[in-house]
Amino acid sequence: SVSDASGALPGANVLVKGTTNGTQTDFDGNYTLDNVDSNATLVFSYIGYKTLEIPLNGRTVVNAQLEEDASELEEVVLIGYGSQRKSDLTGAVGQVDADQLQERPATSLNQALSGKIAGVQVNTNSGRPGGKSNIRVRGFSSINSSNNPLYVIDGVQLPQGNQANFSSAIDYLNPNDVVSIEVLKDASSTAIYGARGANGVILVTTKRGRAGQGRVTYDVEYSVNQFGPNRAKVLNAEQYAMIEQLSWENTQKFDPEGWAAGNYAQYEPRLKRANPNVAYLFDSDGKAIYDTDWSKEVVQHKLSQNHQLGFSGGNERTTYAVSLGIRDAQGLLKNTYLKRYSGRFSIDDQIKTWLKIGGSLSYNNQTENLADTNDQVPRRMVEDYPFYPGPLHTGGPLEGLYANNRDYPYAEGTRNSVNWLENNEYILNTQTTTGSFYTNLNLTKELEMRTVIGANVLTQENNEFRNSVLDNNAVARAQASNEKQTFWSIENYLTYNKEINENNSFTALLGVSWQQSNQFFVNADSRNFPTDYFKYNNLGAGSDNIAVQSFADREALNSYFGRLNYNLYGKYLFTVTGRADGSSKFGDNNKFSFFPSAAVAWRISDEDFLVDNTLISNLKLRTSYGVTGNSEIPPYSSLSLLSSNYAAIWNESRVGGTGLNRLANPDLKWEKTAQYDIGFELGLFDNRISMEADYYYRKTTDMLLDAPVPQSSGYATIRRNVGSMQNQGVELGLSTKNIVTADLSWNTTFNISMNRNKVLSLATPSDIFGVGGPGITNETSIIRVGEPVGAFWGLTRLGTWGTDEAAEAAKFVSYRNGLTILPGDIKYKDFNGDYIINDEDRSIIGNGYPTAWGTLTNYVSYKNLDFTLELQYSWGNDVMDMNLHSSEDRQALANSYTTVLDAWTPDNQDTMIAQVRDTRAGYVTNVDSHWVKDGSFVRGRNIMLGYTFGQNLIERMHLNKLRLYASAQNFFLLVDDELLGDPEVTPIRGGESNNVFSQGMKWHEYPKSTTFVLGLQVGL
Amino acid sequence: CSDFLDESDPSNLTPDSFYTTAKQAESAIAAVYADARFVGNGAGIFSSNWQLLEAPTGTSTTQTAQNSDLNNLYSLSYDANTLHVRNWWRGVYKVIANANLVLENVPDIDMDEGQKNQILGEARFLRAWAYFYAVRLWGDVPLITLPQSATSEDFFPSRSPLKAVYDQIVADLTAAESAGLSWTDESGRVSQSAVKSLLAKVYLTMAGNPLNETARYADAASKAKEVIDNAGPIDLFDTYGEIHDESLGNTVEHIFSLQYNDEVAGNPMGNMFPNFQPVTYRGPSGTGSTVPEIEFYNSFEAGDQRTVDREGWFYTSYYTNGDGELFDLGAPYIFKHFNVTANGTQGVPGTAKDNLNMPIIRFAEVLLIYAEASNEATGPTQDAVDALTRIRDRAQLTTPTLGEFTQESLREAVWKERWHELCYEQITWFDMVRLRKVLNSETGGFDDFVGHINLSSDQALQEKHLLFPLPEQEMINNPSLTPQNPGYN
Repeated sequence: SVSDASGALPGANVLVKGTTNGTQTDFDGNYTLDNVDSNATLVFSYIGYKTLEIPLNGRTVVNAQLEEDASELEEVVLIGYGSQRKSDLTGAVGQVDADQLQERPATSLNQALSGKIAGVQVNTNSGRPGGKSNIRVRGFSSINSSNNPLYVIDGVQLPQGNQANFSSAIDYLNPNDVVSIEVLKDASSTAIYGARGANGVILVTTKRGRAGQGRVTYDVEYSVNQFGPNRAKVLNAEQYAMIEQLSWENTQKFDPEGWAAGNYAQYEPRLKRANPNVAYLFDSDGKAIYDTDWSKEVVQHKLSQNHQLGFSGGNERTTYAVSLGIRDAQGLLKNTYLKRYSGRFSIDDQIKTWLKIGGSLSYNNQTENLADTNDQVPRRMVEDYPFYPGPLHTGGPLEGLYANNRDYPYAEGTRNSVNWLENNEYILNTQTTTGSFYTNLNLTKELEMRTVIGANVLTQENNEFRNSVLDNNAVARAQASNEKQTFWSIENYLTYNKEINENNSFTALLGVSWQQSNQFFVNADSRNFPTDYFKYNNLGAGSDNIAVQSFADREALNSYFGRLNYNLYGKYLFTVTGRADGSSKFGDNNKFSFFPSAAVAWRISDEDFLVDNTLISNLKLRTSYGVTGNSEIPPYSSLSLLSSNYAAIWNESRVGGTGLNRLANPDLKWEKTAQYDIGFELGLFDNRISMEADYYYRKTTDMLLDAPVPQSSGYATIRRNVGSMQNQGVELGLSTKNIVTADLSWNTTFNISMNRNKVLSLATPSDIFGVGGPGITNETSIIRVGEPVGAFWGLTRLGTWGTDEAAEAAKFVSYRNGLTILPGDIKYKDFNGDYIINDEDRSIIGNGYPTAWGTLTNYVSYKNLDFTLELQYSWGNDVMDMNLHSSEDRQALANSYTTVLDAWTPDNQDTMIAQVRDTRAGYVTNVDSHWVKDGSFVRGRNIMLGYTFGQNLIERMHLNKLRLYASAQNFFLLVDDELLGDPEVTPIRGGESNNVFSQGMKWHEYPKSTTFVLGLQVGL
Repeated sequence: CSDFLDESDPSNLTPDSFYTTAKQAESAIAAVYADARFVGNGAGIFSSNWQLLEAPTGTSTTQTAQNSDLNNLYSLSYDANTLHVRNWWRGVYKVIANANLVLENVPDIDMDEGQKNQILGEARFLRAWAYFYAVRLWGDVPLITLPQSATSEDFFPSRSPLKAVYDQIVADLTAAESAGLSWTDESGRVSQSAVKSLLAKVYLTMAGNPLNETARYADAASKAKEVIDNAGPIDLFDTYGEIHDESLGNTVEHIFSLQYNDEVAGNPMGNMFPNFQPVTYRGPSGTGSTVPEIEFYNSFEAGDQRTVDREGWFYTSYYTNGDGELFDLGAPYIFKHFNVTANGTQGVPGTAKDNLNMPIIRFAEVLLIYAEASNEATGPTQDAVDALTRIRDRAQLTTPTLGEFTQESLREAVWKERWHELCYEQITWFDMVRLRKVLNSETGGFDDFVGHINLSSDQALQEKHLLFPLPEQEMINNPSLTPQNPGYN
């Protein structure tokens, strides 16, 4: 029989060395082999265990106990439509196992993955529960279609899609259900996913049962939030009063005529403070009585909790796993939350010796209230007046009402941040049901047929309500929409494993796939309710039914794929892959396309000259080349379509119109990315030090682009395959076991990634604008040949005009309200020397992409204690801080950053910041180089201390595991002094799709928190 | 399943499945009307497309520097990338393309011939209206009169001589005159009087710079006279308040307007509200990005009703939050497009729905076209002076009699009246270009266009400003679109 440390090992391979005579052990670990030479040697092997060779020496009964192979080389790694030992891989595949996933609490899979794999960049750009993350595998491959990777959960592909409602389908998976994640990066590994593989593929494996003893696990976690590090500072009440006074006084300088005409008399702070609504806020000297820190008003310190309960077990034939989860994540900002109820069931059954069936069914119900669908809360908490008593007036005629900036004379007409948090709802109710069913048919010992049927139904309600207190005319507005996405797939493939002889073996795969996705969306918008009671629950009660919309679409994919892995002498590994994909979304002339790849790997350490080397325990060289595709454009893009969404107004009513919409392109086809990869894996000192490094070059051609056409045609763009872009980079992962003793171990992992993106060609020589940015200024970003996609675009700020430069400044054609440029105004670089500051003086002033990024993690365990420290770093990324536009460039309309205290004065002329003044007297604000800051950072991502209770204690409690841990996340941030706030950002305003190229662009994001976690893991 | 990969869009139509019924013909022409509202669409933060035609006139200035494109328009330093310029190009050609779809497809529909002709007449009017903007903004422009696909021969068109464009405009409007349209149309659709009024304006423009076909003055005069003589319900309103009373849209003085209704799109002149002053139900919310240039305001004659606070074109005080206490604004703001019903007035809260239309041609302009054109064609006549007098009577100003006018003095009197009567209606800029003259607010006389200093920015108008630059991106995307207008390279 064959066993392992815990008992019988069913399904282990037993082979007579040098022959094809072999068998597998039965459910009790027993085996029988006939026709065996009495001097033969038996080879026992099982995936995940060290292979054992035992000479018979005449015996007829040989019992083998296999040892689990701790070496990661023997680990099994999932690849598309199959698995391989890590040592047999020819492609670049990154792996995160369950232990690593548990290192830090995460609300979404992307957060769990962040920093774990070289070449995979995950930016969490919002601090709300669930975050809003951007994930890029080896940079950007596309301008117009999605840059999100393909997710495959237990063999079933998820719809790629865009980020509707600031999330993608993967965000609704419970990360606690995941046991491992594989990221396929190079073309050799992604090409099996053909037209959907260009952005990388993320394979997710969820929990399954194991034969043997039943297991019950219960994991619980409590956490609280507080403001994260490096929050931007705003003026306090006293500072504000000083700036407000100075702004008013300086008006005389900046608009002398208007001042003389008395246009500004009414703006004198003394008079404003006398306004009856706000007079109670100031003492008889006009000094503010209150000094409110709004950041304290908007936060809540609520306890979040996460409970995960798991059951698993089974016998030799049938295994199952059940998991149940409840997560209640309370956001840093008041009233924001994410609540998720999830359940998952999986079963696997060896129904016949030649047939295994199984499947899983999971259901998630998630409810969220988002506060960062617009900039109201995060912006207002910066700009709310510090001299207010807090969210409510405590005196004066408005006592008891919300204290809004608009109550102060001549302020910007805004409402305060707490008011927004309490009276604006953006509720997302998302339900996902994901199911899969498979059959594994062993047609012969070597030939297996697997059929996987998958389905995914996502229903998302989006309910919005804005209470009438937030409306200028006391009108409440409500909106309800419902989106349903139905996806199914059927995949069928044959795998043929053949060991020709000791030195030659191969695996061949051949398969076929059908997938379809349907979407239906309906939305209704209503206003002017008799009461605020109904919210979005009775839209018919609104007097103004503003809009009703619906749409439907469908897309379908039909594919044929194959792969051949060939293993020669166990040292030379070859992989050839091909997939033919047909998509409904492409032109009639180009429905199908073929995506090939090939790869070679050489396990040098298995060569004779290295096999006994004590220094080098593993050395592998591999290289691959292949082509993958991207088809993520909206359906119907190749058709000539009319739009029926025109609305004329005749007789004071809406009249629907039908007019031009899209130019046809019957030649529309896939976007293709050709990728070359060369990598090596090195293990030293019995793999105490292991390293994996890759260089890649990716070139995207036939880029799907809304290419500009002459607008004299009435159309702005045509969807075409034009343009190309390249990414090249290096990624390196290093893992060391610094100390390995019985009581003490210390491991370090480090990874670094570098990617350079460059646009090689576009449809026309014209630059592409209109990408990126929150839409509060003129263009912020540009797509230009030879530059990284979405580079920052603007003027160059040289400083401010000095008193001795008055004459030179005055020569400039005015760039502030037609008034003369004066000392104290911003001084721009006039590139062409024409004394006009306009588009001719704009240039590329930065980009949001890091030179290098990665993580450094240390794990130390001493007896029952474990300790983890994870640092995340990014170097060379720019941040464009558009907040400076309203919080530094202008004053007195709202509160400002404390940077205005360094503004130009006759005594402080060497400054970048213009002299303060009432904005109506002409201020200057432009996207410029002063807004671009060095966004390099080191972030304390996670620090965790755990204690695992000793065996004696837990046995007495009838447990088999009990661990207690405490952790702090995002606990420090090291950034350049000039950077205000968090460097990992994209603006919400401007829409999600517009923000694909906005990494590093700052416009009032949901602030990130420092999170303190206390958790307990129980197993029995 | 051989059709597994076929696709058809359930939410949108293809051109070959449309244009078969009268209802679809109506839907097609509705799209052209919808597109015409581009004039009021946004042009970046705190700005609207119509500001292209206001900012360079010098009659207005701004209280905010937020939008650098708008700043460049005010300081006459705009270029081929300025957003407003790009938006206008996009806007006019989209109207033209949708009109071309109607003109190409509707004739084949089996439907009532009278209804069909009216729809074709409306399409011709709107196409002419769009080309009229194009030719005045850029001079020679591509002339496209058929729907385009990516394989069309003239998909990359070159510039057609402006004479050819004007000929097309006149041809379209002449055809529209006999399309059986009703004389006036309170629904907001094109009427016969609108066609004739626009044609009169086109002739007047052709008579001036750059075509200088002076014979067209007579055509303009006679076309305007047709409207005046057959006025029917058309007349001047008695008060200025009625002009921006949303309940009087498309009646009396309003010959043609872009239609606005809060249900679809509210009035687009919000950038004329003062900067963060509580003059409406919105509280302190305006941008002040188009406010009167003070010297222009001062150039109105003493006693001109158009300067009376909250009665004429301006207001210098208003009710807090629309309906509260009267407060002083410190300076004049534009009242011409201020919707009292929507924003509120003393003791009456606003409805918060700004359904006020954007006037394109008022009868006042037709009268002034007549006065100017007939004076140019034949010298001063009683009819011409009467037309001018009607405008000035409403302003409670006295007007010299026929005998007191020379051709010269009547000419300048009419010009000046245009500046004061038609200000802030996106008309003044084209008068400046056509006349190559600009009202000097300080002297009350007329300067030559080139060299005139705009008081709003102290910048001088140059020869190049007679045309706007072609959008740079468009020139790159269409290599046949050359050359750039002089002075913009």
